[in-house]
Amino acid sequence: MNGWMGKIAKIDLSSLKQETVSISSETRRRYLGGRGLGVKLYTDLCSAKTDPFAPDNALIFMTGPLTGTMMTSGRYQVVSRSPLTGTICDSSSGGSFGAVLKSTGLDGLVIQGRAAQPVYLYVHDGGIEVRDASGLWGLNTQQTQKAIQEQTSAKTSVACIGPAGENRVLFAAILNDKDRAAGRGGMGAIMGAKNLKAVAATGGQAVAIADPEGYKTLNARIDRIVDKNPVTGKSLQVLGTSVLVNIINAHGMFPTENFRRGVFNDAEGTSGEKIAETLLQRQSACYKCPIGCGRTTRTKNKHGEGPEYETVWAFGAQLGISDLTAITEANYACNELGLDTITMGSTIGCAMELCETGAWKEKMLWGDAGKLLGWVEDTAYQRGIGSELALGSKRLAEKYGRPELAMQVKGMEIPAYDPRGVQGMALSYATSNRGGCHMRAYMISTEILGHPVFLDRFSTAGKAEIVALFQDISALVDSAVLCRFLQIAMGISTFTDMLRVVTGLDFSDDELMKIGRRVYTLERVFNNRAGFGRRDDTLPPRFFNEELQTGSSRHRVVRLEEMLDDYYSVRGWDKEGVPLPRTLAELGL
Amino acid sequence: MAGKIVVKFYGLLRRQLRTPAIEIESSELSVMELLRLAEKKTGQSFLDELLDPEKKLLTGTIILVNGENVRLEQNLETLVRGGDTVDLFSPAGGG
Repeated sequence: MNGWMGKIAKIDLSSLKQETVSISSETRRRYLGGRGLGVKLYTDLCSAKTDPFAPDNALIFMTGPLTGTMMTSGRYQVVSRSPLTGTICDSSSGGSFGAVLKSTGLDGLVIQGRAAQPVYLYVHDGGIEVRDASGLWGLNTQQTQKAIQEQTSAKTSVACIGPAGENRVLFAAILNDKDRAAGRGGMGAIMGAKNLKAVAATGGQAVAIADPEGYKTLNARIDRIVDKNPVTGKSLQVLGTSVLVNIINAHGMFPTENFRRGVFNDAEGTSGEKIAETLLQRQSACYKCPIGCGRTTRTKNKHGEGPEYETVWAFGAQLGISDLTAITEANYACNELGLDTITMGSTIGCAMELCETGAWKEKMLWGDAGKLLGWVEDTAYQRGIGSELALGSKRLAEKYGRPELAMQVKGMEIPAYDPRGVQGMALSYATSNRGGCHMRAYMISTEILGHPVFLDRFSTAGKAEIVALFQDISALVDSAVLCRFLQIAMGISTFTDMLRVVTGLDFSDDELMKIGRRVYTLERVFNNRAGFGRRDDTLPPRFFNEELQTGSSRHRVVRLEEMLDDYYSVRGWDKEGVPLPRTLAELGL
Repeated sequence: MAGKIVVKFYGLLRRQLRTPAIEIESSELSVMELLRLAEKKTGQSFLDELLDPEKKLLTGTIILVNGENVRLEQNLETLVRGGDTVDLFSPAGGG
C-alpha cells in the first residue's frame, strides 16, 4: 500500500484490550486521514450524547497519507468531542510526532476507556505497551517528555499533557516535540480524564511512495515554489507569525482589552519586528519544513518557544499588556503546563472586564503584567481564582451574569482578528465547526493579506461562497495532513499532485475538494445532532451593536445576516443550518 | 496641499531600510511618485520588495493611506497629500 500504512490501532484503557484494524480502500479514498478519517472514525464510534470525559469517549490520534513524506508532513490531528464546546473538534500540531507515529506502522490510534492509574502508551514497531505513569503524574510537559525519552530512547517523540490536562482544565493542550501544541478545544483534558499522561512513539518503517520519480520531481518543484514565495520563503522565516501584529493593528482590528477597541497603542512593542530585535535566538522548524516559522527565544530568566502571533495578542493587547517579557514567559508557562494560549488570554481578558463592571468582585486589572504568570499557573492547578478561569470565558461570564462579555463562538474563544474589520472572517468564525477559530477558513489571507487575490474586507458580497471554499480546502489539507502555511504558496492542484504521486490514486482537484466538503458536512451533522444550529452560528452581541471607535475599522459592525442565508444555500443546508437530504446523498453521507 | 507625508516601513522592509519611518515634504502626488521619493530619501532601492517587474503591486503587498488600502482606491495612482500617513508592508503572512 502506498501513502497509508494500512492499519489503525484501537486500545481500551479500561480493559487494556488492543486490536489492529484496517480501513477499507473506499473509506480511505473518501476521507484520506487526519481530520477527515478521524472525524469519520469518531462519529462511527461515539454519539452526540457522549460525555467528553466519559470512558467511552474516543480520543483519536491521526496521521494522513502524506504524513512522513513531503515537506511539513510531521503534523498530526487529534479528534474527539471538545469538553470546551461540546462540538466535534480536531486539534492540530506540528513538530515530528505525526511522522514518528506513522513510522511505527500505524496510520492512527483510537483510544477509549479510562486507565485505573496513570499510564502512558509506548508505540513502537513491535506494538503498543501500556506503561505506568504514576511517577510522571504532576510533571510538566517538558519534564514528561524528557523522562519518557530516558525510559525509552532519545529518539522517542512524545505527545503529552501537563498539570492542566491532569486537572481537566477545559482548554488543556497536548504538547509534543518540546513546544509544539495541539492547542485548541481541550484535547489535553480528555487525556487527563483517561489517566493518559502521554503517547510516545518510535519507529523505523518508511512510507511507500507510488511514484518515486514523480515524487522526486514534485518535491524539487515544491521546494522552488515555497522558496520563491516572499512569505514562505522569507517573511515567515525572518519575522515569524507575529509580523501580523503591526499589519492587523494598522487595519484597526487588533482586538484590544477584550475587543473593546481595534487599535493597541503599544502594538509596536509587541510586534514580530520587535521580537526579532530583542528576544529571538533563532528560528525553529518542524519536520521537513523549509519555512521555519517557529521562534526560539530567551528572556532574562528563561528560554523556550514563542510567542506566536495569537499568543502575543492573547497575553498582550487583549489584556492591555505591552511587556514583551511577561507575554513571552506566560507563553512558556502555557507550554509547560499544557494550556491553550488563546483561550487562556481571552478568558483573562473577559475576567478583567467582568471585574471592571463590578460583576465579579475580584481585582484583575487591565495591563497588570505582574500577575499574569500567577493567573496562568493557578488556572492549570485549578486553585483560587484559577479554578474559575479554568472554565473558559463562556462559562465564567455566564456564572457572573454577563454572558455577552465572553468573546466566543460555541464556547471557543475568538482569536486575534476583530470581525468588525473583516466580514468574511466574521462569517468564518460564526460557522466554524469547532467554534471561534481562525483555522477553519482563514479569510484574513484574502481580505487583508491579499493571498491569493485581494477582496474588500468590508464587503459581504460573495463572501459566503469563498468562506465555504476555504473551509473545504482547509479540511482537505488537515486530512492529508500538511501544514496550512503551504496554502500561502500553492493551490489545490499542487496538493492533488502530491496525493497522486504518493498514493498512486488518480485523484482530481474536484474529488479532493469534495472530500473537504464531505468532512466539513459530516462535522456539521454531528454538531446538529449535538443540538447546534442557526442560533449558534453567531457572534457575541458586541460585534453587531458596538461600533469600533478608532482606527481604520471605525464605525464598522458585523453584518452577518447579509451572508448567513447565502452560506447555507452554498452549502446545501436548510435555513436552520441543517444539511439537506440531497446534500448528504451527493456526499455519500 | 503641501506638507509632510509620513511614510512608515514594516516587516522586512524596515529591516532592510533600518528605519521605521521617514517624512517627505510634498504637495499632492501619487503613491508611485511617493515611493520613488522615498527611495531617494532613504538612499536605497526597495521597490522590488513591493512591486513586480511591471511595477504593479506584488501579491501580498499592502499599502495603506490613512489606513485605507490603495487596492480599494486607485492602486499606485492613489493620491497622497501633506498630513497623510502611508504604511508600507512587504508581503507577509502568519496566523
